[in-house]
Amino acid sequence: MTNCKRLLAGAAAAAALLAAAPALADGGIVCKAGPQENWQPMSKLKKKAWMEGWKVTKTQVEGDCYEVYAHTEAGMAIEAFFHPVTLEKLVVFRRGSEIYRKKGFTG
Amino acid sequence: MLQRSLPRGPRPRIVLFWLALAVPAALMVADLARGMLAMDLLHPTGELSLRLMVAAMMVGPLIEFFGANRFLAGWLAIRRHLGVAAFAYAALHLVFYAIDMGGLRPILAEFTLPAILTGWIGFALMLAAASISNEAATLCLGRRKWKRVQQGVYLAFALALAHWVLLDRAWGPALIHLAPVLIAWCFRIAALLRHSKGTV
Repeated sequence: MTNCKRLLAGAAAAAALLAAAPALADGGIVCKAGPQENWQPMSKLKKKAWMEGWKVTKTQVEGDCYEVYAHTEAGMAIEAFFHPVTLEKLVVFRRGSEIYRKKGFTG
Repeated sequence: MLQRSLPRGPRPRIVLFWLALAVPAALMVADLARGMLAMDLLHPTGELSLRLMVAAMMVGPLIEFFGANRFLAGWLAIRRHLGVAAFAYAALHLVFYAIDMGGLRPILAEFTLPAILTGWIGFALMLAAASISNEAATLCLGRRKWKRVQQGVYLAFALALAHWVLLDRAWGPALIHLAPVLIAWCFRIAALLRHSKGTV
């Protein structure tokens, strides 16, 4: 194989890697929450987070989930996903690593 | 030659460069003062720092392939400043992080988490490179040692990308920032191959 061909092969491999990137991006949580008109108001979500003993920094809609950024009583910075209809706590991340997942939740 | 190594005042274009680069920082601090959450300023500072790093890392390989044309020579002339600016935005990133965390204890509590530790080590490597980014340090350390520390930025870049991937649980944005560096390195390899062919 000539050097030029080798270089092209390398470039093709790099391109393939980049093309595969969207397939690898799976950071989003899916709550299967249905239409927004059935969702609980955000104020109830805040109350729910407050009842967990968290200091809430920010709440927002992420995909079809409610997302809460907060600091726990122990001072841990966390990111939690709640079901917008049932307001169940589904997944909690601490700096990207999952520290809680509701039993049976696969979203 | 002797005159060139004597200390002199900053050139107007460098002053202009720093003024331009101070604008995003000023806007971010203004946003914070107006009540924006510190956590919402983490992405802008981190991304800008990474982009400046990419800009500083790309020019060398490109020059090896295309030669120092006017555009690339101008780019090379500000490379050191791009690197220092990348460090400055990383430092601002850290300030916003400290504000968001609200104290030393929670910061220490998550220091060893992979997503956070990668950020800290990357920052330390950038600090080392930025602190010797001046003529005096080049002379003092000697070219080889100086270069070794500067090359630590490659590791810092890899760690910063890992920091991003781990925190956001997504590959896409980090790979988009990796792409220009990879492409520049393809040019560097092509230049090396061309050179070795020429000498045989």
